[in-house]
Amino acid sequence: MSVKNRNKGLTRVREIYQDRSCRVKELKAEGKKVMGYFCIYSVLEMMTALDLVPYRILGDIREPITKADACLPTVVCPFVRSCLDLALKGKYDFLDGVVFGHVCDVGEKTAHIWNIYLNPPYFHFIDTPHTVHKAAVGQHKELLKEFKKTLEAFTEKKITAVGLKKAIKAHNQQRALVRELYELRKPDPPLISGIEALQVMVALVSLPVEEGNELLEQVISEVKQRKDGPQKKPVRLLVWGSIIDDTSLIEMIERLDANLVMDDTCVGSRAYWSGVELTKDPLDGLAYRYLVQLKCPRTFREVTFGETKKDYMADLEGRFGYLRDYAKEWNAKGVILQSVRYCDIHGYEVPGVKDYLDHVGLPNIYIEHSYTEAALAPLRTRVQAFLETLG
Amino acid sequence: MTDEKKKAMNRLQTMYPLRALIDEMYKRSVEAGKAGKPTAWCMVNWWEGDPIVKAMGMETVYPENYGAACAATGAAQAYLDRSDSDGFPTHMCGYARNCIGYTARMMELGEIPPEAPMGGMTKPMLLVGAGTLCDARYKWFQVLGRYLDAPVWMLEIPHPGVREFMMEGVSEHNIKFIVEELREFVTFLERLVGRKMDWDKLEEITDDIIAINRLWFEINELRKVRPCPMHSRDFWTCMNASLYPSGDLKVSLDLYRKMYDEVKSRVDNKIGSVADEKYRLVFAELPPWHSLRFFDQLAERGWNFVIESWAYHPPKPIDLSKVSDPLERIARHTYQWLTGYFENAFNAGEYWGYFAYPYLEYAKDYKCDGAFLHPLLTCRTATNHLMLVHDRLMKKLNVPSLVVEGDIVDLKLFDPVDAMRKAETFEEIMDHYKKVRREKGFDW
Amino acid sequence: MDGGGRIHARVVSHTGAEHRRLANKVMEEVLEQANLPFDEISYIIATGYGRMNVPFADRQITELSCHTKGVVSLYPNVRIAIDIGGQDAKGLKISDGKLIDFVMNDKCAAGTGRFLEVIASALGLKVEDLGSISLKSTNKVNISSTCTVFAQQEVISRLSEGAPLEDIVAGLHDAIASRVVKMVKRLKVEPDVVFTGGVAKNVGMVKTMKDNLGCEVSVPEDPLLTGAIGAAILGKEITLKAMAKGEFIPRKERRLEEVTFFK
Repeated sequence: MSVKNRNKGLTRVREIYQDRSCRVKELKAEGKKVMGYFCIYSVLEMMTALDLVPYRILGDIREPITKADACLPTVVCPFVRSCLDLALKGKYDFLDGVVFGHVCDVGEKTAHIWNIYLNPPYFHFIDTPHTVHKAAVGQHKELLKEFKKTLEAFTEKKITAVGLKKAIKAHNQQRALVRELYELRKPDPPLISGIEALQVMVALVSLPVEEGNELLEQVISEVKQRKDGPQKKPVRLLVWGSIIDDTSLIEMIERLDANLVMDDTCVGSRAYWSGVELTKDPLDGLAYRYLVQLKCPRTFREVTFGETKKDYMADLEGRFGYLRDYAKEWNAKGVILQSVRYCDIHGYEVPGVKDYLDHVGLPNIYIEHSYTEAALAPLRTRVQAFLETLG
Repeated sequence: MTDEKKKAMNRLQTMYPLRALIDEMYKRSVEAGKAGKPTAWCMVNWWEGDPIVKAMGMETVYPENYGAACAATGAAQAYLDRSDSDGFPTHMCGYARNCIGYTARMMELGEIPPEAPMGGMTKPMLLVGAGTLCDARYKWFQVLGRYLDAPVWMLEIPHPGVREFMMEGVSEHNIKFIVEELREFVTFLERLVGRKMDWDKLEEITDDIIAINRLWFEINELRKVRPCPMHSRDFWTCMNASLYPSGDLKVSLDLYRKMYDEVKSRVDNKIGSVADEKYRLVFAELPPWHSLRFFDQLAERGWNFVIESWAYHPPKPIDLSKVSDPLERIARHTYQWLTGYFENAFNAGEYWGYFAYPYLEYAKDYKCDGAFLHPLLTCRTATNHLMLVHDRLMKKLNVPSLVVEGDIVDLKLFDPVDAMRKAETFEEIMDHYKKVRREKGFDW
Repeated sequence: MDGGGRIHARVVSHTGAEHRRLANKVMEEVLEQANLPFDEISYIIATGYGRMNVPFADRQITELSCHTKGVVSLYPNVRIAIDIGGQDAKGLKISDGKLIDFVMNDKCAAGTGRFLEVIASALGLKVEDLGSISLKSTNKVNISSTCTVFAQQEVISRLSEGAPLEDIVAGLHDAIASRVVKMVKRLKVEPDVVFTGGVAKNVGMVKTMKDNLGCEVSVPEDPLLTGAIGAAILGKEITLKAMAKGEFIPRKERRLEEVTFFK
């Protein structure tokens, strides 16, 4: 539901990007409940079906981490530490509850630490399996049934099949709209910059799904007609890796004479690239999509289940082939692989991804950063040098 | 001094043959490789996959243990350097980097590197990964595909939250999931090795492992008394018969029986593992394998380490006699290891039920005066819970903690001289909290 | 540098704190040496850390690309170039005269010239003398500290234990070389290998780099200038290309006057 006299399109996007919680705080004042979550493994549809507003927990690269050091060692993912730090400083006090998936082992442990130190009114941990085996999908469905129980107990309402299907349709609609927006990054120059695209993604995870859909429609229409779009640059890039929730890294790249036209990151395309199939029991479609179809290195995939001969290139093709397709469709000439320091999930993948990209002839560079603004300066030289080798 | 200085630490005699089992494990694996018999590299999988792999006649060796061995003998650095120069991040698990470097070198040479300690690890036919507790332990085997043509099987075990665990039906579907996956694992191995599973053998091996762990659990229960008859050093040396169930399990059972007798005899005669037990300590999590003599020095000051390393301990025993399917016995046994403390944790309002909460029970049951916490630079998994443990031990039990940093393969990071200095100061703190606990009505 | 690739003047100067003022000063000096007025310079490229602080430059290009150009012009068969400067160390992988991969250490002093400066100061020696001292060593000391600060402490204690000065200095050189070589090995080293940067003027470092790499290493006559040479070559190429096409040479509006920023 939109409010008259509110800004629209990219202006509204920028507003929300600057002050993420502005809308959910208004909704809270109207009596709505807001549910926080990390990463893309918390099932949003189930929350939407109960009229809860899912709100993605993000960090702040400008906020020095002080309180989280009492709970988490410094040698773990700085993004997760930042999120916990903000929570300990009260920045997430407006959340009525949190839902965490078993996204990675630091994420899983932080979930329990969050529960212990912040004592949220509602807490649920979905122990997302790590493989895509048939038994794992079945297990995932059972886990979602558990989640359903605790949500229903908390809200004192029931999730009906009808309600859930309606929620699935709304979230699928958002995914389709995001893909439509991403199509507008294919032209040369793209109609929307990497910075703007990220701002849109951050805005989407700060709004209820219907409002996000409305905003997307405005943005798509605005972008299609705009005359002030990004300038054409000599190099078009794809970025891969761990979470990017702040535009500073993208700004650094785009200021160096490149257009960032596509991404494989979780605030970006990973959350939107596959829809939920509307199965008879909606939990089946949800269990499948949220485990098998989400592409994140935390999930262990084999090319052929139970296949006894391992072929390295076939394995890489199975795991990373879609990157080649992205580069082709979005006409990206180079790939920036980035991850935060201490991210094991992406860190272990890097040599394999590099091998694959070298194999298919896509120039690439790996940069590791520490999720702070100060970390960007030395990276600029590396990225610039990379662009010079492409030029 | 002409007389031999009396050693402050009193090691168990039965420790020695148990310690030797590890060397035999590496030898067996290398010989099996030479004879063309099927071999596997396994992550520590807490008996979820081991019985099945053994029943299929495969020799197993554990690269995590190998990482510790390479670190202790100084061979690790070359392998770490190789891993770094091949583009793997330097913050990764030291054992993983060691293994990657070792594997790269082995495949380049076409044989076990001549300088490899313990005779090396033979080229495996299978990599058994496990996501238990730690992501590195499946990602690492996945990346070995860059060097080694061996399939990876990923063993999974559910990690429910404490509250979720207490919900109706949760453990049932968790067990069902594990069993289904194990059935697939059996089918996969039958195809790989080219023969059918010997179910009788699997039954026997499963029961042997459960018996070994039960006995090992009882031995550790004996340590609750004053003075404590068995030091952590003996635990760490002897745990391999349980954690790395390689070789003839009947031999392991027998060695643990002998060990039980020796520890029981010490209890009956009030013999402690340390000459003059002044302080009782709990250690978390992974020990500094290369600097274990440090504990001998602490023993001279009366420090007895009475309990340690939750992750290495066997499960609290449960009755599995009515479970006819060996795969289900395996599943329940491993699940019990991970979740055995959850119900108590729930009742105590502690929501991290494995790794962290058990230390509250340890400190209480083993009457600990202090905790020695050892954060590790490249092992996040064994470090994440330490701050919470520090906090809870103090808040709930008035037990103080000493924090001394190190790493699993970068041995320079643990400074025994500095640690000793800290330890001396810590004694005053432990004395203080003994008084505090007495005043508050605790019974130790 | 002129259109034929001949170098007319060269200036090397300490950076100090104010890049912009220095850039002006260096420009003035080199113009004087070449006996040319500012307006006759066709194209100016700035490179290095201070490249954003050269207001009269037409373009900024990274030192990685510039070093590559410079080294290739001096050693056409180069495959690996290693540059160790005062505050960073770089490895460049070159194929057919083009940069194809690189590694950089700009976070930690232990593998850079800074390490030598700190230790020289602690030992009361001049940085320029360290190389020849190290060559006198017959039994180098192993410096195990990974951190410059701790290495300093380690050096003092080894000295007080009676270790000969040249053995300690040799050990320090070895410590830097092994760190740098470890980083460069990520590029898969093959000959020809060229060593540049201020630290390459140190004969002891040249020797220990060879030992650590296990192969021969070439050092240009003036190892501090390869970046600037490369930048000049790139500028020449841009200018000649534009002239050949009859195109307007893209230049910034230039003024060579003192920067008022800090006044």
